[in-house]
Amino acid sequence: MLRKIFVVLALIAASLAQTAKKSSPASETTNGIIVLRGGKLLTITHGVIENGVLVMQNGKIAAVGPAASVSVPRDAKVIDVSGMTVYPGLIDSETHLGLTEISADQMTNDLVETSDEIMPHMHVYDAFHGETALIPVARINGITNAIVAPASQDTLPGQDSFIQLDGRSAEEMLMVRDVAMPLNFTGRQRRNEGPFQTHKFPSTRMGMAAQLRQAFLDAQDYEQKLAAYEKKKSSGGDDKDKEKGGSTPPKRDLKLEALLPYLHGQKPVVLAADEPNDLLTAVDLANEFHLKIILNHLAHSASLLDKVAATGFPVIVGAIYAQPKESERYDAVFKLPAEMAKRGIKIAFASYDAHNVRNLPYAAGYAVGFGLPYDEALKAITINPAQMWGVADRLGSLDTGKLANVVVANGDPLDVKTDVKHVFINGVEIPLLSKQTELRDRYWK
Amino acid sequence: MIHRLVLLLFLLSTWAFAQQQQPPQQPSSQQPIHNDIVIRGGTMLTVTHDKIENGSIYIHNGKIAALGQTVQAPSSATVIDATGKWVMPGIIDSHSHIALDEDVNEATSPITPHMMMKDAFDYNDKMIYHALAGGVTTSLLLHGSANMIGGQAVVIKHKYGLGRDDLLFPGAPQSIKFASGENPKRVYGQRNQLPSTRMGNFEVMRQAFIEAREYMHEWDDYNAKIKKGDKDAKTPKKDLKLEALADVLRGKLLVQIHCYRADEFLTEMAIAKEFGYKIRAFHHALEAYKVADKIAANGVAIATWPDWWGFKYEGWDGIPWNAAISMHKGVRVALKSDSEDVTRRLNQEAGKIIHYGVPEDEALKMITLNPAWIIGVDDRVGSLEVGKDADIGIWNGYPLSSAALVDKVLIDGDVYFDRSLAGLGLTHYKEGQ
Repeated sequence: MLRKIFVVLALIAASLAQTAKKSSPASETTNGIIVLRGGKLLTITHGVIENGVLVMQNGKIAAVGPAASVSVPRDAKVIDVSGMTVYPGLIDSETHLGLTEISADQMTNDLVETSDEIMPHMHVYDAFHGETALIPVARINGITNAIVAPASQDTLPGQDSFIQLDGRSAEEMLMVRDVAMPLNFTGRQRRNEGPFQTHKFPSTRMGMAAQLRQAFLDAQDYEQKLAAYEKKKSSGGDDKDKEKGGSTPPKRDLKLEALLPYLHGQKPVVLAADEPNDLLTAVDLANEFHLKIILNHLAHSASLLDKVAATGFPVIVGAIYAQPKESERYDAVFKLPAEMAKRGIKIAFASYDAHNVRNLPYAAGYAVGFGLPYDEALKAITINPAQMWGVADRLGSLDTGKLANVVVANGDPLDVKTDVKHVFINGVEIPLLSKQTELRDRYWK
Repeated sequence: MIHRLVLLLFLLSTWAFAQQQQPPQQPSSQQPIHNDIVIRGGTMLTVTHDKIENGSIYIHNGKIAALGQTVQAPSSATVIDATGKWVMPGIIDSHSHIALDEDVNEATSPITPHMMMKDAFDYNDKMIYHALAGGVTTSLLLHGSANMIGGQAVVIKHKYGLGRDDLLFPGAPQSIKFASGENPKRVYGQRNQLPSTRMGNFEVMRQAFIEAREYMHEWDDYNAKIKKGDKDAKTPKKDLKLEALADVLRGKLLVQIHCYRADEFLTEMAIAKEFGYKIRAFHHALEAYKVADKIAANGVAIATWPDWWGFKYEGWDGIPWNAAISMHKGVRVALKSDSEDVTRRLNQEAGKIIHYGVPEDEALKMITLNPAWIIGVDDRVGSLEVGKDADIGIWNGYPLSSAALVDKVLIDGDVYFDRSLAGLGLTHYKEGQ
């Protein structure tokens, strides 16, 4: 009898749950098509469309254009965004999202392995915590994608991942694993400075450079041994070799293995330097091993910008809030993005943050104040990073066929006063909720 | 005779001491004096009485002598054309540690009220210039937060390029820094000293005030005896530390408390009540929104960041709507930097708070008049009003936005920063001085 009651109750509960599901906003339209109508579309790749229409279907942008030329599919959920600005989800080119929760609590930090300088076999995807409270805080201000990088204490701290700021699991959010490898050469890495006073090698720039060169040489050597073994194996080898041990595979070395795609130029190395001498040393080293380079920081390398332009390397220039040098004018660092853009250098901004990734667009806006053309500033948080991280086929602009990562705001995306009203990731509307909005709603009465 | 000589020497030494304590009232000789200046055109954000489109300000002897649509000024006055620009009072940073070298924290005892930040003040620090170039004209330079009761602050005007005493805000009241929560318990707890918990934190503080109260009574009794003509009264020992705490009890110091958590605001206010002093402001105050009504009822202000959070446990419940909720519940709110970076762009911080629910005029107040009140100089600076110091920023766009830059900054009616100038853009600074 009791059991029967339970069964009945369970059935009722299940049907209730089903009804609840049906009435949720996600299923308002049967076909899942969402249309943004009447907004000002900042397409990035083909100008600004006043009074535009954007259609999202199956997670992608199905159509985009002036209201007159885009037909609204039947049964679509239409959102009137007249008076609003519509732009692609913003991309932050360096964050620590998912690697930290409460900075001061070491147990919530998986930022970097500091036991050694050369740690390319550390993969941030192994630590990435998709359920972090910090991601909703970032995405409700329009950041939809980001690089997750290890902290920069090591010369080679590991490999970055490129993430989508929504998903039911870390797996879904990790769009590109091992997308790039940071190489830090800013002086902070020297062990005889700061909290790492261990008096172990390397303690100077010479030491850092030598250690790095040796690591790359070791990796090349490892690869040659591997190739020699493979060659012998495929040619059948002979028993004599086996006896000598010549055809046993080299011992597998994850550290050296991790460097190989970068030595082949298959993936970018993100080379961070601030001072001109560090930049030159690091670039020489990178060229020696034919690395594919994205530069990072360059806070005090204004004197080398012509040279940088000649290399064609793109630059992550988010560190515009770094302090100028003692003798420099107050805006020496603030105006770097403008100076780079003037020379045709492709730039992207980064917050280098975790808790306040949401403020990324304001750095771009500030650079506009110091002379960066507005369109370049917008590109530097959309299409430029999409290209630099190899995802421009999917992200970075409002173009048909790209992922529907779209933001609607009540004004200029780069201005501090602007309020984000809708965020779509993969064509799904993200509720504008976070740990912080919950607290707001509890106390703002 | 000898007696007289000693008396004379004594008088001389106290006179010299008084000279040292008192910043010079007259501008020093290297300070050029512009008696009459008119800022003409532009949108004037007055803070206290709305904005004046295409207005003018007449500055006489460093003070605002008139402002409005038109002003009466001598024809000889220097004219600064601000057509198409935005004019606002100098920004005030009510929580800064710039220009103190590494001497921010005397972290050798949880009670150090007799530390004077003026003794560490480095008037040549370029950070003073960087903040000036972001429109900041006044800052409160505070002791750090390692100690439950830290040292006494120094208030400066950003007259970068002048001598030390020229940078001190004349007549500004003395503030003292208190702290609470994680910093004191971490600093002393790591050394296995008291305090290592919040219980320890507050006990250390109560104990200090109990001793200070006894000390104060001892002196009060002595002074009363002297007044009555009792020549045999025994002079109590002077103790700098207890003297400073007694000044808190006597209400001579503005109490600025580093405090994050809701429960700690309440405890701090209860202790203040118990010992009879007033709290001027809670600094950081990330959970103020949870008990904003109680903070407002006690007349305590907050100096907070718009959106910093999560860097430690007591910052975990920080929300960017803190300023808005607290303001709506009647708390006087200031936005401060506590950062050599952010102090350069407090205008952006005020802009940011607008989309978190603060009206634009209130946001402007949060970086001008409200921090002026926290520092106790709101009768002198923080708004464009007749009689106030002519501390003024002229901006190339609406200041509370991402891309606006300050073109010129005036302090006491004199231009100290001019973006159009080559080099550093400074008017009073000489390289290598």
